[in-house]
Parts: sequence; C-alpha cells; structure tokens
Amino acid sequence: MDTKDLVDLSRKTVKVAVKKGADQAQATSFLFDRALTRFANSQIHQNVASRTGGITVKVVTRKKIGTLSVNTLNEEKIADAVEGALKIARVTPSNKDFKSLPRPQKWTPVKGAFDPRTAVCTPSFRAAKVKDIIQTAHSRSKRVKAVAGSYSTGSSSFAVVNSLGVSASARVSLAAVGVTVISEVSGSQGFGSAEQYSRVVKEIDHIQAAEEAAEKSVKSVKPEKLLPGEYEVVLSPRAVDTFVSFLSYMGFSATTYQDGQSFVKYHLGEQVFDDKLCVKDDPRDPWTLFAVPVDGEGVPKKSVKLIDKGVVSERSICYDSFTAGKEKGKKSTGHSPPPIVPFFGPARPFPINLIVSPGHASIEEMIEDTKQGVFVTRFHYTNPVDPTKAILTGLTRDGTFLIKKGKLSKPVMNLRYTDSMLSALKSIPMIGKDLQRTGDTTAPAMKLQKLRFTGVTEY
Amino acid sequence: MSHELGNIALETATKNGASFADVRIGEVFDEHVTVKKGLPDDISLRQTGGLGVRVIVDGAWGFAGSVFLTKKEASQTTKTAISIAKASSTLKKKPVKLTSQKARKDKYITPMKKDPFKIPLDEKIEVLLAAERLIAKQSDLIKSSSAFFRAFRENKLFMSTEEAELTQQITWCGGGLEAVAVRNGEVQRRSYPASFRGNFSTRGYEFFESLALLDHAKQVGQEALQLLDADRCPSAETDLILTGDQLALQIHESCGHPTELDRALGMEADYAGTSFLVPDKLRRLKYGSESVNIVADATVPGGLGTFGYDDEGTQATCVDLIKRGLFVGYQTSRETAAELGLKQSSGGMRAMSPIALPLIRMTNINLLTGNWKADEIMEDTKKGVLMMVNKSWSIDDKRLNFQFGTEIAWEIKNGSKEKILKNPTYTGATPVFWGSCDAVSKDDSKMWGTPNCGKGVPGQSMYVGHGCSTARFRKTRIGVLR
Repeated sequence: MDTKDLVDLSRKTVKVAVKKGADQAQATSFLFDRALTRFANSQIHQNVASRTGGITVKVVTRKKIGTLSVNTLNEEKIADAVEGALKIARVTPSNKDFKSLPRPQKWTPVKGAFDPRTAVCTPSFRAAKVKDIIQTAHSRSKRVKAVAGSYSTGSSSFAVVNSLGVSASARVSLAAVGVTVISEVSGSQGFGSAEQYSRVVKEIDHIQAAEEAAEKSVKSVKPEKLLPGEYEVVLSPRAVDTFVSFLSYMGFSATTYQDGQSFVKYHLGEQVFDDKLCVKDDPRDPWTLFAVPVDGEGVPKKSVKLIDKGVVSERSICYDSFTAGKEKGKKSTGHSPPPIVPFFGPARPFPINLIVSPGHASIEEMIEDTKQGVFVTRFHYTNPVDPTKAILTGLTRDGTFLIKKGKLSKPVMNLRYTDSMLSALKSIPMIGKDLQRTGDTTAPAMKLQKLRFTGVTEY
Repeated sequence: MSHELGNIALETATKNGASFADVRIGEVFDEHVTVKKGLPDDISLRQTGGLGVRVIVDGAWGFAGSVFLTKKEASQTTKTAISIAKASSTLKKKPVKLTSQKARKDKYITPMKKDPFKIPLDEKIEVLLAAERLIAKQSDLIKSSSAFFRAFRENKLFMSTEEAELTQQITWCGGGLEAVAVRNGEVQRRSYPASFRGNFSTRGYEFFESLALLDHAKQVGQEALQLLDADRCPSAETDLILTGDQLALQIHESCGHPTELDRALGMEADYAGTSFLVPDKLRRLKYGSESVNIVADATVPGGLGTFGYDDEGTQATCVDLIKRGLFVGYQTSRETAAELGLKQSSGGMRAMSPIALPLIRMTNINLLTGNWKADEIMEDTKKGVLMMVNKSWSIDDKRLNFQFGTEIAWEIKNGSKEKILKNPTYTGATPVFWGSCDAVSKDDSKMWGTPNCGKGVPGQSMYVGHGCSTARFRKTRIGVLR
C-alpha cells in the first residue's frame, strides 16, 4: 500500500460521507511501519516492530461536527466509519465558530523527505548498529558499566481528502539513535547521553553518538554539589531544544493564544528575547525532520517566524482552519497536526518543524567566555509552571559540568531550574554556529547570561 | 476469529523455533466528549485494535504488532517477531528466564451498573454544557470554561504457549470541569475534581454521574476568580497538608515510578531514567515514616489500574511496596521478578494497545489510610499551608528531587483554613519528604485515576490509579517561585 492507495481510500470515504448526507467531509488515512531496537545493560532487551494504519473521518452537517477514527484500511469498513461519524454529528450541537473545511491549495512534495532504504531496515541491521554502539562505549573506558538506548527506523505516510477538493499526501522516513552510558567509580555513577535524528539512516553516525555519550559519562563520575543560584549557562543543542519546544508548546498555538493562555498575547510586538534569537517553523528547511508539505487538513504548511530577532507578534501564531476561522482576516498557516506526529494531548495547531537560527560561536568559545557557569547536556522532566509567564521547571541530566575561568572544570550534581524563559532568553551573549537535529526541533548551542537554579539532586 | 488468529500466531511461533510465545488480540474504544465556551470542542470516537506477538527465540525477546487482523497477517507478524528475536539473541548476556505461571482459562469483565457506551451521546453533551455554562456565568473574566467526559473500553484476548487463554473487557469512564480566569495577563485555573480532565474509574456511567459536575461548577468558577485577587504563596519551610487529588500525583511520581523493577534494573535508563530504589536497598531503606504504607493493588474496586489479568497473563494481586516506612517490594514482570529471584510477578505488565509491547506499569499505587480524621489533621496544624489539585510537576530521573505546583492553597493558622494563596509550589527529596509524613487521614480516602501515564520507547500512555487521603508533611519547603 502506498500513498496513492491512501489517497484513493480517503477519496472513497469522502464520497460515501457526502452521499450519506454530510454537508462537508474530510478523511485522513495513514500507514506507519516502524521498528525499534532498544538496549539496556549493554544488551538488547526490547526489540519491536509494528504496522499501524487507520482512517479518521470528519463530517459536518449544518455546522454539527462528528469525528471517528478507526484503525483499519479495509474499504469494507468505510461505510460503518462514516455512519459512526454522522451519528456523532447528528446529536452534537452546532459549532458557530466553524466556518468551513479548507479549500484546495496548490502544494508540492518536499524533496528528500523519504528514503526507501531507511524504511526497510532489518532487525539484523539495527542489531549490528547496536553492537557497534555497545562495543564503542565500553572500549572508551573500563569505567563504563552499562550502555542503554535505542535505534529506530521506519516510515510514515498519510493522505487527506475533503469534499471541497483538497487532495494531498505525504510520506516520510525517519531514523534515530539515542545512547545513554552509565560509568562507575567507587560506587559513584556518571551519566552521559547523545542522540541523532535523520530522514536518512545512512546519515546516522552511531559510533559518534556512542563516543560522545561515553565521554560525557566517564567525565561525570564523582559529581560535586553546586549551590543553587543564578549562573551563566552554556546549553548544548539538546538543552536549547527543551526551552524552544516548550516555548512553542505554550505560546505559538492559536488555541492557547485565543484562550489568553499564551505569553505571546501579552507581549505582541515586544522585544521579549535577545535580538539574536530567531526561531522559525519551516517544513521545507533542509534541517527539518518531519518534512511534510501539508498539515492534517491538507493545507500547505507555511513557514512562520515564531521569534523574529527576539520579537513575538501576531504573525508568530500557528493556525489551523478552525482557529483561523475564529479571527477576522486570518488564514490557516497549515498547522493542524498531521497524524504522523505522536502527540498524546488534545489536538490543536502547533509547530512541528522548529529551527533556531545559528550564530557564530563554537561551544569551546562559549566555555572560554564563561568565568563561572554551568554546562548543561540536556534537561529532564521539564514542565510549565506558569505558561503565561513562560515559567518552566526541570532538571539537568546526563552530563552537567561546572565551568570555571573559561574551562570545563568538574562534574556537578544535577540541578533543578525554575525560571521564566522571558528572563532566561533575554540575554544570550553567544549562539552556536553548528546546528543539531533534536527531534522535531533543530537548534544550536547557546550561552545564556543567567539561568536560575532552585535546587540540587544527590547525584 | 480472535482465537483462530491467536492459534495461528502460537503455532507459527512454535514451528519457527520459539521456546515461548504469547499473543494479544484486541480492540479499544475511546470516546471523548469535550465542551468549551458553550460549544462542542471534541466529540469523537477512536477505535484501535490489532494483534501483538511476543516470542522468545534462542533465549531472547522479539515482538511485532499489526492492526490488520487477517490469518496471513497473524502468521507474518509472528514471523517478524521471530526474526527480531533472532537479531536480539546476537546481543544477549544470558537467556531470558521467566517466573513459572499457572496456565489459566478465565474471563474478566469490569463490574458496572450503567454501560457508558450505551448512554446517548446527547445526554452526555447536555450534562457537560449545563455545567460549563454555569462556570462561564460567574464572570466575564472566565475566559475559558470546559467540561469533559471520556469513556474507554478494551476487549482483549491473551493466549500463550503455556496454554493460557484469558478474555477481558475493561471499561472506565469519568470527567471533570475546568475554569480559566484571566486578568491583565494573569491566568488562574481551577479544576474539579482533579486537573487534566478530571477523575476516572473502572466503573460504569454511574461513576460519572456521581461526580455531580453541575453541583461543583459554580465553586470552580468562583475559586478561579478568587485566585486572581489572592496573595502569592510565601516562600518558607512549613507544615504542608496535601489533599488526595494532589497526593495521588506525589505517590505516582515518587513511589509508583521508582518501584518499577525495570527502572531499578536500568532497563529504562535511556528515557525516563533509573531509580534510587535499587535492589540493594530492598528491605533496608527507610523510605518514609511509620505512617507510610503503600501497596500496588490491581484488585481494588473502581481503581483505574484494576483488571483481572495483566498483559502477560498474571492474575491481578496486591503487593506491599512500603511497609511502616520501609521499602519492601517492587512492581514486576515475570522476567524482572525472576531476575530478582522472586517466585512470582506482581502482575504489572500492560501495553497501551495490542500492537504495543507490554511494560511494567503501575496498577493502583495506594497510600493506606492512617489513624487521623482529615479535620483533626487541620485542627492539629498551628501554622502551615493546605495545597490542592495539581498544576505542574517535575521530578529527576532517579525520582529523588521533585517540585510540584498546585492550583490553589490555603494558609493554615491555629488549626483553621484562612486566606487563599495563589501559585503554590513545594519541593523536596523523596525519602526526606515521606519521612516527614506524620499524619494520614482515615476518613477521606478516595481512588484517583490518571489516564495518561507515559513510559517507554516508543512512548506508551497507560491508565493507572492511586488511592489516598489527606496527609501532612512537616517542615516542607514551599513557595519556590518567590
């Protein structure tokens, strides 16, 4: 089954819905083939593959909307799915905010989004890579006690058709490796991790990931306690990703904006961040991972400047057709979540192709420029404390080091930060020149003038 | 059809060299009804299903799942699992060993009075709209008001080469309310009965009715408004009283996750992390005070983590995790239990769908009741803060350092509840915090359901429960944001 088959299935579904009385109808079908080899304690312990397919039918009758999702791509079950959606719509009150499903717009596929080799990797291929990773990490030092992580490959396809003429589809491949290395000296553990993502499995340098994680892990043993307080910080791209992803989650969705729960609403046109900070959402940037040309409604995804030289504005907000219909003069920016993105929360428009503009510095230069500060490899379990003030809390993990007089000095115990991003990202003296894919975000390293640490762990 | 597919999978596994295999075949129905600002927001039904085959070949695991329920796919999926297991075996340190298990043929159905899927949709919508309208009516400052209903049903068949044959129908439902008040860029939220869409229980529609959303809507709206004018929670070290709705998440994060044996054995090191409760500390570490008794109980009526059998066929049971403050037990699978030398699994293996691999998941992690009445705890507190309903949460990857925020708090002075405090937060280290617990109530214990616990790679979401009542924690650090 390929994307053409998915388009055909969606088209047939829409046809059935209209025939059964829907004023408007939309059908989104999808097919995922994904495999993942997971390892821990330097051996494979979970090794899985799954084939998932399904279709979501949305019908509208007199502004009454019904949605039904079924995990089947069986044509014979289409009529039942449509009937189920219509049944929901019949008893649902009219939604006066609903204007219309989107009308067709021209779109073109994203070149290089799909790599056939990445889609068909075998279990033995992944096992061989995992073996390399484990051997590489252990060969780095006798202190390395355990290697954990995962190596995944696969592909996702989806097609959207609606009764107004929208007909769009996309297919992407994805490969990822994550490595966590645990070292031990005299009962003291050190942790290090690294990860890589690509649309093309060939681009994944699993040896480099293993070496990076092992080096950080070995250097992290016997961490010392650093008192909480405000410190200069040098953030790796993965740590930057956490801040930027949460900002986008909290701030740039039209739903949170319209509900008054986005910090953007209260700072329109203001220079809220350092003028060096530029973040865009762009599905066609070569760096983006989920390179899909259309969103979950088949609307071409537009490039949106979320933060432009530190400024947020009305133009920063990401819309789908429903939220755009609630504001005069707004059009969908193509941010209805496509089914390829794993997201457990409520469906709402949000950016999935975040790119932070690079600067000119190397990480070494950022460290040299720091008198007393903290180097952060990544953050763990970050959550919003106050979304409208963009306050986050979370912990450092897998390699936290004290920077003293321009040099990485010693490992420190993981720290908890609690700070507003409006304050932490207000002064960014240096931004890294190299970009790294960190999932749905691509980011450089960054040096922040200050980040507020409010607690410390015991390891 | 299901049994036929199950037999095909097991026969294919055996023929292709599997020393053990189990297969799960099932379907999931997930109904969401949300109204927001007087309008339907999400009225949808999600149906998923499929089969998942787990095999051991050459002493290593392989797993494959598919949503396509045909004979050909059952056979092909099993062969995929076999090839995956063979690849796993190239990197094994020792062969997988499972605790022995009595083969059972049994059926389990969640007991209920009213099937939530048989209640007309328009009836549910009407109830939600009435409650939501009452919230919105409280003030123009209420910028967002929502009411939620969700019903979930899982029909599943488990079969194994050990001749197990178990069919289950697990049903749960529930809902809640949310009010968001906004003034001059300040946002305050109140929810009922708990945040993140309410409370859920393995009961029928009668549980949703018992929530009586309409009766609580006015208070939810009023308290969101009151928070706009409230004083901020001070920064201090003081006595902290938590009601069950917040304590449930505290138990979840600081006891539920660290007592998962796969975490403690390093199997989740790459994602959620490990655990400070390593096997060396079993029956040695003082986790909390004498008042702290925590169990993992998959049998408690109405618990969101209540079922007949877990997803590797182990019968639901209750195990001690913390007894009189001492760390005494883990949540386990057949494999991890054997690793630790235990005779039986605690029955904690569950998967979010048939096509996902079962992992050790919480069942109902319950803090057993103490000797106090909830009112007595309040009256006995000279100076402190009462916090209620979770707003934010974060904990480190060994589950030691945590920080929580709640929607609302009250200052306590000389045993009485005084003024409302906004933006309350508290922080601490797990054994210190539970060590400071000196009072647990006996009269307001309740089951709280968390339908969205995340774990694993690829990520899975699971429904779990927590039974708890009001409790007091001495000298806790509050007010991190000041």
